[in-house]
Amino acid sequence: MIHMMMELQLGLALPSIATTHHVRGFEFDLNNSYVYEPKDSDPSSWNINSYFGSSASVPGKCSTTNSSNGNKKRSCDDAFDYEQVRAVPPRTLPLFNWNSRYPDDEDDPRDLDNNSSFGSNKTVDDEDGVHVVGWPPIKNWRKKLCHQQHHIPGGRVKNNQAVVANNGSACGGRQSNSMYVKVKMEGVAIARKIDLTLYDSFETLTNTLIGMFGLWLEDSYDYQLTYQDREGDWLIAKDVPWRCV
Amino acid sequence: MSYSSLPEDVLEHVFSFVQSDKDRNVISLVCKSWYEIERWCRRRIFVGNCYAVSPRMAIRRFPEVRSVELKGKPHFADFNLVPEGWGGYVYPWIRAMAGGYPWLEELKLKRMVVTDESLELIAKSLKNFKVLVLSSCEGFSTHGLAAIAADCKNLKELDLWESDVEDPSGNWLSKFPDTCTSLVSLNIACLGSEVSFSALERLVVRCPNLRTLRLNRAVPLEKLAHLLRQAPQLVELGTGTYSADLRPDIFSNLAGAFSGCKELKSLSGFWDVVPAYLPAVYSVCSGLTTLNLSYATIQSPDLIKLVSQCPKLQCLWVLDYIEDSGLEALAATCKDLRELRVFPSEPFGDEPNVSLTEQGLVLVSEGCPKLESVLYFCRRMSNDALVTIAKNRPSMIRFRLCIIDPQTPDYLTLEPLDVGFGAIVQHCKDLRRLSLSGLLTDRVFEYIGTYAKKLEMLSVAFAGESDLGLHHVLSGCDSLRKLEIMDCPFGDKALLANAAKLETMRSLWMSSCSVSFEACKLLGQKMPRLNVEVIDESGPPDSRPELPVKKLYIYRTVTGRRIDMPGFVWNVGEDSALRLS
Repeated sequence: MIHMMMELQLGLALPSIATTHHVRGFEFDLNNSYVYEPKDSDPSSWNINSYFGSSASVPGKCSTTNSSNGNKKRSCDDAFDYEQVRAVPPRTLPLFNWNSRYPDDEDDPRDLDNNSSFGSNKTVDDEDGVHVVGWPPIKNWRKKLCHQQHHIPGGRVKNNQAVVANNGSACGGRQSNSMYVKVKMEGVAIARKIDLTLYDSFETLTNTLIGMFGLWLEDSYDYQLTYQDREGDWLIAKDVPWRCV
Repeated sequence: MSYSSLPEDVLEHVFSFVQSDKDRNVISLVCKSWYEIERWCRRRIFVGNCYAVSPRMAIRRFPEVRSVELKGKPHFADFNLVPEGWGGYVYPWIRAMAGGYPWLEELKLKRMVVTDESLELIAKSLKNFKVLVLSSCEGFSTHGLAAIAADCKNLKELDLWESDVEDPSGNWLSKFPDTCTSLVSLNIACLGSEVSFSALERLVVRCPNLRTLRLNRAVPLEKLAHLLRQAPQLVELGTGTYSADLRPDIFSNLAGAFSGCKELKSLSGFWDVVPAYLPAVYSVCSGLTTLNLSYATIQSPDLIKLVSQCPKLQCLWVLDYIEDSGLEALAATCKDLRELRVFPSEPFGDEPNVSLTEQGLVLVSEGCPKLESVLYFCRRMSNDALVTIAKNRPSMIRFRLCIIDPQTPDYLTLEPLDVGFGAIVQHCKDLRRLSLSGLLTDRVFEYIGTYAKKLEMLSVAFAGESDLGLHHVLSGCDSLRKLEIMDCPFGDKALLANAAKLETMRSLWMSSCSVSFEACKLLGQKMPRLNVEVIDESGPPDSRPELPVKKLYIYRTVTGRRIDMPGFVWNVGEDSALRLS
C-alpha cells in the first residue's frame, strides 16, 4: 500500500518548485525521486476533478497555458505521461490526501472495491458539461443566468444551439412566452442575453445589441449579426426574413 | 412583594418586552405559573424544521400566536441534492392554523412546498392576514396569488423571494381590489412572465405606504421611470430589465425619476444591464446601503464607477466580473460594508474567465472594518490569505468560501488549507456560520472543534480523511445546530460515538459519505427522538447493505416519524422493516 502510494506520487509530475512534500509519516524530496522537466506553465495545483470518476477533465482536455491566474491544467508537453497515470489504479485516491495516518486501516472508505465516496455522487451531463450534483453550490436559477450566451461573429462557441428557447427569467418562472438567446460579440469577454420576442425587426434587434455592448450606432456598421442554425452553420441573420426567426 | 406574587397582567406586560425565542424559552422554565403566562402571550414562533414538531402541538402550547415562521427542506435542496417530492408540505400547518390561529397575521415560509390550495385556505380563513413571505418555495401558481390578492383585505407584505411560481395565464395583480391601499412591500422579482403593468401601476398609486417594490424582469426599463414617479417614497427598489434602446429621452426621464426618490436605500434587479443606463441611478448612490448586482453582467470598470459612488454601502451582492480591481475600489470607498457576496459568472468553466482571486477578498478584509459576512466564489486561495483575512477581521460572523474546483490546495504551497481555515476559527471567535472548500484534511476539523465554539452552521464538501474529522466537529462545536456534509470520507464511528450530540442539533445532512445502513439503523433504534431518514432513489437501502448510504438526513423531533415520506425516503427506526405508506 505504502509502496503503491509512493509509486503514484513518483508517477505524477509535480510543480517546478523544489519542495519536499510533507505527508504524514512520509517525507521525501521530489527532486530526488525522479527527473522532471518543469515547463513554463505554473501547474500550481492539479485539477482534482479527474478523481470523481467523471470525464470532467479527461487528459485530452489539458491545455498549455501560462496564464498567471494559476491555471490548473498541466502542460500536455510535460515529460511525464498523464495518460499512463490515469490508467493506473487506484483512481479514487486523491492527490495530497493520503490516508497515511492509517496506512493499514481496513476501513479506509476509499478502498478500490468500495463504492468510493468520491464516485458515488451522481455526475450529471448537461449543458454545463459533466459535473457533480450539488457542486458548486449555486442555486438553479443562478445557473440558468450563467447560460445566456449566444454568438455574434468570432469568439468561442459556448453553445451549439443558436436559439435557446427557454423560459428565460431569473428565478425559475415557468412561463415560456419569451425566447431568450445568448449574444456574444467578438472581442468582448462578457456575453449578453436578450429576449427575441421583444423585437420586431433586425434593425431594432441590432440596435439594442449595439447598445448592450456599449457601442455607438455609427460603429454598428462594422459589425454583422450572425446566427448558428441547427446544423451548426453560421449564417448571416439578415438573409432570412424576420418572421422566420 | 416577591416576584411570584406579581399579578399576571403585570408579568405579561413585562414579558412583552422580551422578543427573543431563547429568552422566552428561559422564562418559561422558571416556574409553572411563568410557563403558563408566557405561553399565552407568546405572539411569534419560529420552527426551524417543520417536521420537528406537529402543528397541533405548536398550537396547543402557544394558542395566541400571530406570526409563524417555518422552514422545510434541508439547505442542500437549493443545490439539487434533495429529490422532488421529498416533503416540506405546508398544507397540514395551514389547515391546523386555519382553525387554531384564526387571527394569524404573518406567515413566513422557507423551502417549503406551498400549493394553491394552501394559499386559498389562507385567504379564506385568516381574516387579519397581513404578511406572506415565500422564500425559495414552490408548488403554487399565480392562481393562489390571485386568491391572496383578492381576499386578504389588510395585506401589507407579499414577498416571493426566489420562489418557483407556475404561471398559467391570469392577471392576478388586478385581483387586488381598489379598496386595497395597505401594501407596504411587494416582491415579485422571481416571476417569469409579465404582469399587467396598468394593474401594477394602479396598485402602486393607491398604496401610499409602499416602501419596497421588487419588479420582475418582464417590466421594461422605459416604464420604470413612470412607476418611480408614482412612488417616490420607495425605500427599496428592484428594477426590471435594465436595458432599452439608447435614447436620450429615456435616459433623462429615468435619471429624473430616480433623483426624485430621496428615500431609496436598496437597489436590486438590473437584468440585462446596458452600461449606458447605469448613470441614471447615480443620484441615489450616496444614500444606498444595499446593492444587489448579482444578475448584472457588466464589467469591472462599470461596476467600479457605480460602487465608488456608494460610500454608505453596507451590503453588496455582485458577480465576479467585479474582479480584484473592483474589490479594491470597494475597499477604498465603502467603509461601512458589512456583507459581501461574490457569485461566479461561469461556475462550470474549466478556466477562470475573470481576474478575481483571493486578493480581492484580502483587500476588502483590510479596507472594511465592519465586514462580518462573506460569501465568496473564487478559483484559488492560499493559507496566507486566509490567515490575513482572519487577523484583519476577527469580528467575522459568517464566512462562506467556495473554491470552485473541489480539493484545490493552497496555490502557493500546494498544501491543504487547514491552517488558513484554522486561523479563521481561531481569530473569529463569534463565527456562527462557516462553509469550507479546497483541499482539507482532518486537521481543519480539529481546529474547528477546538476553536469554533459559537459555530451554529457548518457546510463541508470533499474534505477530511477519516472519521476523526467528523468526530472533532461533533464533539467540539458546542453551539452546532446544522451540519451538512457532501462527499467526505466520514463513516459510522464518529456518528455513533456522538449520537447524543445529534439531539442537541436541528439537523445533520450527509450525502455521498461512508455511512453504512447498519449504523443508520442502530442510530434510529437507539435514539427515539431522532428521525433517521435514508434517501435512496434506486431502491430499499437494506437490499444492498454493503454499500454506504447515499443520502442521510437526521433531525430531532418530538413527533416521531413523519407520515408524508415518499417512496424513496426510509425512516430507519425500530421497525425499519415496516414502512408506513
